[in-house]
Amino acid sequence: MPERFGDILTMVMGALAVGYVVYEIERRRRKLHEVWDVLDEEDAVLTEKLEEMVESGELQPYTGATLA
Amino acid sequence: MPRAPRGSAPSRRPKAEPGASRPTEASAKTLDARYTEVAAPRFRIYIVDSGWNWPAHRVLIENFALIRDLQKDDPIYVLSREQSIEFQRRHGSRIGRDPIIAVHDMEALDQGGTAGFHGFRLVLGLLRTPQQALQGLQAFARFLATHRRSTDLEADIRADLRREGLMGAIEIILHHEAREMGE
Repeated sequence: MPERFGDILTMVMGALAVGYVVYEIERRRRKLHEVWDVLDEEDAVLTEKLEEMVESGELQPYTGATLA
Repeated sequence: MPRAPRGSAPSRRPKAEPGASRPTEASAKTLDARYTEVAAPRFRIYIVDSGWNWPAHRVLIENFALIRDLQKDDPIYVLSREQSIEFQRRHGSRIGRDPIIAVHDMEALDQGGTAGFHGFRLVLGLLRTPQQALQGLQAFARFLATHRRSTDLEADIRADLRREGLMGAIEIILHHEAREMGE
C-alpha cells in the first residue's frame, strides 16, 4: 500500500512538473509575441496613419543626434 | 474613419521608369533600375514614445544615437510627445506600452498593402528592467542588420520567435535542473 501511494504521489508530482513547464513556456511565448511580433491586417489602421503622416510631410526623418 | 486596408497600394518607393525605347539606353536603364532598387530604403522605422518614466524610455534615449548610426540606410521617424499622445488617445490599447518601435517593410507594403504582413514591432514598454530593454534594442538592431535583404521577412521573424520560444523552454528546464542539482 505505501509503495502504491508513493507511485501515485510520484505520478502526480511528475504531472504537476510537466504542467508547470508547459504553462511557463506558453506564458513566455505570449509575452514574447506581445513584445516582438509581425505587423499584419490587425495593425493596418495604425500603419496607414503613420504612412499618411509621412506622405503629408507631418513626419520627417529624424536628423537629430540624440532624442530629447 | 479608418480606411480599408489597401489591396495593392501604390508604390511609395522610387522605381525605375518603364522600358527604354532605344537599345543603346537599355543597359544603362537596367543599371539605373538596379541602383534605384538598392538605394531605396527597405524599411521605415517609427518610434512612438509618449514619455512614461519607464526604464525602457531611458534606455532608448541613451542608445538612440547608436541605433541611428547602425540603421543609416533606413529613415527613422520619431513622433513628438504630442503626436505620440494623440496617437495613443486614438488607439487606447497601446497606452502604457510605449516606447514602441514599428518597422514598416516597404517592399511588403508596395506588394500587398497593409492587408497582410508588412513589418514588425518591438513593444519596449513591456520590458520592465533596463537590461531587458537594452537586450530588446540590441536584438532589434541585429535583426534589421541581418535581414535587410531577406526575401521572406515574415518567415524569418516567425522562425526567430519559434527559436526564442524553444530557447525559453530549454532555459526553463535547465533552471529546473539547476535547482534540483542545487538541492
